[in-house]
Amino acid sequence: MFKFIHTADIHLDSPLHKLDDYEGAPVDEIRQATRRAFNNLVQTAISEDVNFILIAGDLYDGDWKDYNTGLYLVSQTSRLRDAGIPVYIVAGNHDAASKITKTLRLPENVHLFPSDKPATYNIDNLNVTIHGHSFATPVIKKDLSLLYPTPVPGYFNIGILHTCASGREGHEPYAPCTLEGLRSKGYDYWALGHVHQYEVLLDDPPILFPGNIQGRHVRETGPKGCVLVTVDDSDRPKIEFKPLDVIRWVIIEVDSNGAESGYDIIERFCNRLENTLDENDGRPLVARVLIQGETAAHSELLANVDRWSNEIRGAALDISGHRVWIEKIKINTRLPASEKKLRTSDGAIGELVKLFEELADKPDLLRDLSDELIDLEKKIPKELKQGRDGIRFDDIDWLKSLLEQVRPMLIQGLMRKEGSE
Amino acid sequence: MKFLELRLIAHGPFTDMVIDLSGGNEGLHIIYGPNEAGKSSALRGLQNLLYGIPERSKDDFLHPYSKMRVGAAIQSSKGDVLKFVRRKGRSNTLRLEDDKTVIEESLLSRFLRGVDADLFVTMFGIDHADLVRGGKEIIGGGGSMGQLIFAAGSGASNLRGVQEQLKSEADSLFKPSAKKPKINEAIGKINKNRKELRDAQLPGRQWVSHDQALRQALERKQSVEQDLANKKRSLHRLERIQEALPVIAKRKELINEFQIYATAMLLPDEFPKQRVELLQKLRVSENDRDQALKNTEITQKELSELQISESLLEKSSLIEEIHREFGSQYKAASDRIKLQTRMSVLRGEAKEILCSLRDDLTLDHAENLRIKKSEAVLIRDLGTRFEGIVARIDTARESIPKLTHRIAGIDRKLEKLGTPRQTDTLRNAVFQAEEYGALEKQYEKEKSEISSALKTLDVVLGKQTLWSGSVEKLERLPVPSMETIVMFEDQTAEAVVKHGSLKEDFEKVKSTLADVERQIDELRLKQEVPTEEDLQKAREKRGRGWQLILKTLEGKPVSDEEIDDHVKGIGSSETLPEAFEISVYKADEIADRLRREAERVATKARLLADQTFHKKQLIHLKTEIDAKVKTKEKIMKEWEQLWQPSGITPISPKEMRAWTQNHMAMSAKATEIREHKARVNKLKEEIDAHLKGLNKCLKNLSEPHSDDGETLANLIKRSKRVIHKEDESLNKIKQLRSEKAQRKQELAEAQARVDSSEMDLSQWQKEWKQAVKPIGLDADAIPAQANAVMEDLNSLFDKLKEANIFQKRIHGINRDTDEFTTKVTGLVDAVAEDLKDLPAGEAALELNSRLTLARTAQSQRQTLKNQLKQEKNRMDKAVGRITEIETRLKGMCAEAGCANYEDLPEAEERSDKRIQLEAELKGLDERLHQLSAGATIDDFINKALKVDPDGIDGEIGRLTDETDKLNQEKSELDQCIGSERTELGKMDGSARAAELAEEMQLLLGRLENDVEQYARLKIASKILNQAIERYRDKSQEPILKRTTAIFKQITRGSFQGIRADFDDNGLPVIVGVRPDGKEVVTVEGMSDGTADQLYLALRLAGLQDYLERNEPIPFIVDDILIKFDDDRAVAALRALEGLSEQTQVIFFTHHRHLLELARENVESKFLIEHTLNA
Repeated sequence: MFKFIHTADIHLDSPLHKLDDYEGAPVDEIRQATRRAFNNLVQTAISEDVNFILIAGDLYDGDWKDYNTGLYLVSQTSRLRDAGIPVYIVAGNHDAASKITKTLRLPENVHLFPSDKPATYNIDNLNVTIHGHSFATPVIKKDLSLLYPTPVPGYFNIGILHTCASGREGHEPYAPCTLEGLRSKGYDYWALGHVHQYEVLLDDPPILFPGNIQGRHVRETGPKGCVLVTVDDSDRPKIEFKPLDVIRWVIIEVDSNGAESGYDIIERFCNRLENTLDENDGRPLVARVLIQGETAAHSELLANVDRWSNEIRGAALDISGHRVWIEKIKINTRLPASEKKLRTSDGAIGELVKLFEELADKPDLLRDLSDELIDLEKKIPKELKQGRDGIRFDDIDWLKSLLEQVRPMLIQGLMRKEGSE
Repeated sequence: MKFLELRLIAHGPFTDMVIDLSGGNEGLHIIYGPNEAGKSSALRGLQNLLYGIPERSKDDFLHPYSKMRVGAAIQSSKGDVLKFVRRKGRSNTLRLEDDKTVIEESLLSRFLRGVDADLFVTMFGIDHADLVRGGKEIIGGGGSMGQLIFAAGSGASNLRGVQEQLKSEADSLFKPSAKKPKINEAIGKINKNRKELRDAQLPGRQWVSHDQALRQALERKQSVEQDLANKKRSLHRLERIQEALPVIAKRKELINEFQIYATAMLLPDEFPKQRVELLQKLRVSENDRDQALKNTEITQKELSELQISESLLEKSSLIEEIHREFGSQYKAASDRIKLQTRMSVLRGEAKEILCSLRDDLTLDHAENLRIKKSEAVLIRDLGTRFEGIVARIDTARESIPKLTHRIAGIDRKLEKLGTPRQTDTLRNAVFQAEEYGALEKQYEKEKSEISSALKTLDVVLGKQTLWSGSVEKLERLPVPSMETIVMFEDQTAEAVVKHGSLKEDFEKVKSTLADVERQIDELRLKQEVPTEEDLQKAREKRGRGWQLILKTLEGKPVSDEEIDDHVKGIGSSETLPEAFEISVYKADEIADRLRREAERVATKARLLADQTFHKKQLIHLKTEIDAKVKTKEKIMKEWEQLWQPSGITPISPKEMRAWTQNHMAMSAKATEIREHKARVNKLKEEIDAHLKGLNKCLKNLSEPHSDDGETLANLIKRSKRVIHKEDESLNKIKQLRSEKAQRKQELAEAQARVDSSEMDLSQWQKEWKQAVKPIGLDADAIPAQANAVMEDLNSLFDKLKEANIFQKRIHGINRDTDEFTTKVTGLVDAVAEDLKDLPAGEAALELNSRLTLARTAQSQRQTLKNQLKQEKNRMDKAVGRITEIETRLKGMCAEAGCANYEDLPEAEERSDKRIQLEAELKGLDERLHQLSAGATIDDFINKALKVDPDGIDGEIGRLTDETDKLNQEKSELDQCIGSERTELGKMDGSARAAELAEEMQLLLGRLENDVEQYARLKIASKILNQAIERYRDKSQEPILKRTTAIFKQITRGSFQGIRADFDDNGLPVIVGVRPDGKEVVTVEGMSDGTADQLYLALRLAGLQDYLERNEPIPFIVDDILIKFDDDRAVAALRALEGLSEQTQVIFFTHHRHLLELARENVESKFLIEHTLNA
């Protein structure tokens, strides 16, 4: 019997994305999250007394240049060396892009597969053999698994491979391969990496992605960790997922249907948050809050987004005791159909309402509004404009969502009577 | 929409308070509530009613949340009415009047027509704060046209505030060229962070190069250290030898010199010092001894020269005593003179007093005049009693004439008043009549009511159709009962309905028939559908043709005509065979078609059957319709007969029902008036009877009779005046009589007092005479005289007493002086006979000074004796010390081997030299030991002497240079190793760069939110401005026009109105225009009050413009006029009155005077007042 850990996509020192720091936010919980998660990995390996560790690519973030990250890796793998645990690594696309990989001297217990051709390491006392092939360049479009050697008879054969498999949404299509291709290789276990979500592609033989060890943005929600594989004397592997993440990303959807007031919605949010905390065993969370549905509180919420954001953050602080970071609050509420037709009156406010409706229907007029933002657009850093979440100032959907928020803000502002009873 | 009624069922301080708002056209309702009456609560109630009671309401202090209710009846402009109740809660808060049936909010919102809570408050509500804020906005905004028009059309009083807030919030987030705003600042931080991150990142090659450098330096350092050790060893040896050579030479010289002093005695270090000290001490002691001897001689001489009087010293205490007494003796002598003077003065005064009383007596006999204390008291007491008696007599005598005069005066008044008249009968009559006096006004009022009711009824009667006649006839008109009319109405209606339905059926069938016929035509038009009949006919033709052919074939004669006929009947054929062929073909074709078009054939057959059926139906319906018409006519005839008795030709039963209702109402009214009239006439009779009764009574009292116009009330008043006057004079008489009796009583008492006092006086005179005898006065003396004599006697005896006291003191002083003189004389005899001739005082002083001198001499003798003792002591000590020192000096000489102590210094010198040489030699040996590095001194000296002394310096220089260089290199290597280690130490896997990257993400997160907020603000601002401009384009003209009119009205013509103008920047603005039409006032030039009024004018104009096109919504005004002066308040009220023609205006106020102003100035048909009282 022997045990090993299969992990991948460490992305050491890659930070959590775009968190707006506010009073009471659990800043300490997000500090060095990937390092602490990696530390958890090492700790788990030692306490589980595993025989070896497989890392299926992407130790680093590709464009991250700090050699200290490598030195940190050395210090951690040295701990594993002291505990007598060897580590087998294939370089992934990020590692191939990283300058750290090229110069770092790793301790002798760490084995990095070559990138020119597949190689095999034997662990004779366990009758285990591991086949792997590193990425030589960041972009590999061919099926690397085709080159892998035939299994060694009498041994437990493991293939370790960084791949997008048959393609996964949100992941670059590198080293594609087919499930059938892998299965037909006749190996006993395929340790895959690259896809950040835990996914078992096949049970027998096990072919799976362990996912990354720490979520870093809102698209990496849920538990993150490694798999612990126990192989019995008849070479039957048993798979167990072990969470390693130090802070977890979640999306809290609050259904505002039928809520009468902002406070109703806060109450609903509180209930949802309590459940979510329970579901995650009280682990620190980064939460995105989505409020959606028809509610009479629509105008109330949007007329003062700041205030309600603070209410939500405050409620989260109260409930979690500084363990939840509210990353962003998206308010996608609508007025109930019955109240919508109320505001069709004549007069100056009516004129304003008509203007809003016209803008919502005419993209050209809407786009003209973004002229106001040209100065700003020139100044803001590229990080805010890039990526899937980036702000695009001429994006109609974005402008429309702003319009939805501006409308109650403006109308309520004009009609609010200060000091009136 | 308007309110018909607002019910504050349980809200704030109110319980079941109902405000009826149904009056007026739309109505200007002024709801007055003094402070604490719950005006604000009512105002909130109104809003809560329409839009729900807020979750946290402050109107629950009387009624708990669960009981809070507001109700209302509202009416739309179309006349629909909704009565409902609002309760507090989260859902289902809107109910029907029963408070149970839940109704949909949408039902209420249909009445409100899209006006939600905010719009209601903003556009249809105005309070004083709005007005002031609006006025300020106008001034602050410089009268911007767009803003003002928009504000007028929306009711927003804070438009400019909103605009400015949007701008300032946006500016606080971002400005294109600034550093402070949040976004700019964040961008700065991000750039800084980016740079720091670059610096913190450790490039890989850097680590490798440092690692290599460190390894090389460590290796090199090892070899340098080896080399350096060898070189240093050689250098050291040479240096030791070089240093040892002069030491060796010096050692040799010293050994030679030491031979001379080897035999010298070694003396201790302190030896010379001890010697010098002992010689010094010897000289000091000898000197001391000589000085003591000299002092003793001088002291003994002084002692022998001293003189002392021992006798004086023995009497010292006695001398001190008399010296003390001398002081008091001196003072007593001066006191005695003063005492004698004062004693003789007192005696002189006493003598004078005695003379004034009795010139025959001397002072020594004065004692005879002393009287007893009891006698003096009696005299004083009698004096006091005398004054009392005299005063009493005087008072009593004075009061008698006064009282007599008063009594005479009262008698005169009584005579003047005479006897009063009797008024009992009149009083009774007034009492009975009073009740009717009050009814007199009631009678007048009712009389006028009756005549006005009669008039109204006449007018209504005049308008009456179908029947005309007088009011009297009205009641008697025989009109059929309501039930009968309703019965006819039902019958007629039923007949009409049935007729109508039959007619409808008839039309329907008619139309169905037309449709069937149309379909038949359609089939026909497409292609005539063959019938079985057609087939039959074709077959017959074919048969006939065949018969002809058969006949021809059989050779049977056939006429050509017959054939021709047949052929022609077939058509398009020339011969019989041809014709037969065609006819066979035609018959086949019809048969085929019948088979082929079976469906069309069937349709046609069905349509034809339908057609027949519908035609029959039509005939049946027609009959029924005719029957109904007849029934209707019958009913109409009966109807007319019913009305014959009243002589009225009736119209339709439905209309007649309304007419009859109307008639019954008028008839009831007529009855009411008739009964009323009877009651009033009865009242009039009663009043007249009382008038007569009262007049009769007055006549009996000879008061004037009332004239015709006098009312009963007046007459009653006059009678009461008569009664009152008589009552008053009766009272006056009673009062005067009682006073007269009292005065008579008082007169008698005064006379009695005079008599008794005169008796007291004669008794007193007897006692007085007896009492004043001892002091030598007779009975005629008055008490004052007696008092004076007694005072003089007192004074005389006082003075004599005092003079005696002085006499005694003088005597004492004389005795003390004699005693003192005796003492002094005794002393003088004993110790100083030479003072015998001096007076006692002076002798005492002299004795005292001699005693002082004797004491001084005594103390000096004691001092000198002490000195002698001390000097002897000193001399003895000095002699002892000299002996001791000389013994010790002899000991020292023995130690140094000298005969006497003058030789001691030389012995000391030799000892020192020997010690010095021994020490120097020892030092040199030690130095050589150090330099020899472990070898014996002799071996080392031998080795050293073998080295060439002249080559040493060169060799040492070479070795020093070499080691210096090696040391330099080593130090450089150490530095290099240190810095490489530091560099590598820094590269410890630190997370600094990672943390900076994390911070960057925090900054980006914040920035993203701020960017979105900025975008929202900018877009909001732009949209608002667009809306303002659009609204201005659309509404500027009508709103300006209306505003001008209202503004002129509200400012009472102080302004002619407003108009559009341009400001300095060419932007459109509103300006005020003065009555001359030329003077233009910018809004900045307007007073606060005028700006408020302009705002009000704009608001009202905006509302009017709105109401022009929309369902009216009540305008709720909350005490806006509190700062207006009366004129302008009236003008504003009139403006509101004008608005109330378009929509209901509900005006809440705390101020009663506004209510009064409204009452005086607003037309009563518009104004409805309400008062709140919780």
